[in-house]
Amino acid sequence: MVTREDVENIALLSKLFIDENDLDKLTEDMQNIINFADTINKASDESEEFDNINNLENVFRNDVVKESLPVSEILSNAPEQADDHFLVRKRG
Amino acid sequence: MKYEMVAGFETHVELSTNTKIFCSCTTAFGAEPNTHCCPVCIGLPGTLPKLNEKVVEYAIMAGLATNCEIAEIAKMDRKNYCYPDLPKAYQISQYDKPLCEHGYIELSNGRKIRITRIHIEEDAGKLIHNHGDTYVDYNRGGVPLIEIVSEPDIRSPEEAREYVEKLQQIMRYIGVSDCRMQEGSMRCDVNISVREAGSEKLGTRTEIKNMNSITFITKAMQYEFERQVDLIEAGEKVVQETLRYDDATNTTSPMRGKEDAHDYRYFREPDLVTIKVEREQVEKIKACLPELPNKKLDRYINEYEISEKDSALLVKYRNIAEYFDKAAQGLKTPKSAANFILTQIFRRLETEADKEAFDIKTLPEQLNKMCKLIESGKLKNSLAKSALEKMLDSGENIEKFVSEEDMAGLDDAALTKLCQDAINNSANAVADYKSGKEKALMSILGFVMKNSKGRADANAVKEKLKELIG
Ligand SMILES: [Zn+2]
Repeated sequence: MVTREDVENIALLSKLFIDENDLDKLTEDMQNIINFADTINKASDESEEFDNINNLENVFRNDVVKESLPVSEILSNAPEQADDHFLVRKRG
Repeated sequence: MKYEMVAGFETHVELSTNTKIFCSCTTAFGAEPNTHCCPVCIGLPGTLPKLNEKVVEYAIMAGLATNCEIAEIAKMDRKNYCYPDLPKAYQISQYDKPLCEHGYIELSNGRKIRITRIHIEEDAGKLIHNHGDTYVDYNRGGVPLIEIVSEPDIRSPEEAREYVEKLQQIMRYIGVSDCRMQEGSMRCDVNISVREAGSEKLGTRTEIKNMNSITFITKAMQYEFERQVDLIEAGEKVVQETLRYDDATNTTSPMRGKEDAHDYRYFREPDLVTIKVEREQVEKIKACLPELPNKKLDRYINEYEISEKDSALLVKYRNIAEYFDKAAQGLKTPKSAANFILTQIFRRLETEADKEAFDIKTLPEQLNKMCKLIESGKLKNSLAKSALEKMLDSGENIEKFVSEEDMAGLDDAALTKLCQDAINNSANAVADYKSGKEKALMSILGFVMKNSKGRADANAVKEKLKELIG
């Protein structure tokens, strides 16, 4: 069973900010997702077809350099940064 | 009791492609932090990786060069672990369907070190730790790696050294990596255990992570071997754990953190499609591989009759070997070209890096021409030596320093004149010789040789001198 606390906890770990009013609905949704995964578990996974689910193979890229993004854009989503680095603070 | 070392290697080799494995950012080394990054390689949501064709090709080359079988079907998997050097919290690697398997490297003592597998994967970012905080640079994140995994077939630090050097040499020959351990483009993890010599059973192993110097590897292995033997002798148990080697103290110590967490929960990477390797493609790549160092070494020793030591020097770097192969083309004694390279040319190359680059002004075709002139008897060895020096200095062709006239040698009249001049100028030596001191002739001979500027033939001079002195 997925509980409200589970959803709150997952939201926290995923850095998502959830409105208190949405919690019940999200808990129900999450339970449905888990149930769906259970259905998948019942399927056999021995089929070779799992190796090639899209029926696609050999999608490659040429080894040609394209310009990277400016460091300011690369760091623009970083919670913290210093000296053009992503900064991970000491825990605790 | 006598103990035996049992060691296996996991070697990470950075491939020298232009771009990263799943995006078009450059792999160039040494840039400002986070300037070689894009949404793919910093793992932003909604981005899709696309595999660099060259990475597959290079991995197949590495596999073929180490006697591996190349898979017909390979796929990519996610290896999950949470650490700041991985922006996605997983590394895209290969789990159960690697590109290459079942190869080996042969050591000079004849032992084969089996290669379990070679797979492709992405490198992680670089972390700089500072007062407990961590600074992350993702320039290296997504740079393509191959991981070469060996069976526990290595029995001594010396074998380990040769194994790593051989790998390095092969990867450089086929041009898939520069394998610069100092820059981190080649890194080794060693797993090591001890057992009673002759026993088949494997002992508990420890793993020493992330070493980037061959000297450290051999020292760490020796230390770890002795540490484990001491434990066993004292009746204690070796604990299976991950270690780091500290070169300052020459000791190993347990590592904590991500390296010790072994639940990687591998699963198939759903964003990348299956890799299917056509047999024709493998054959094509095989046909393009250069002659490998082992083959060359055999050829030099057995066909060219060059000593093992000299052959190893010629084979060490691909540039030298290729230069020599061109210089030796069609020679009756390829050894003469080898000698010029190992003496006069090597003298000009001070460092290993110089030798590896082998950037010299004289073309191998010119050395070849010179050796052929010597073989045909047109050019005297002494003259060749000084001509080669001038060629190496200037990059000019041999014709510039050796004239037709030089090569024609001396006619009898010129020889007689030179000898007579020498005799006239060496009254004492002549007198000594006449009184029975055979040796005195040598000083007159030296005089003639010097004045002929190397053009005269020593035997002819000797005969002429005897004739003239009477
Ligand atoms: Zn990128």
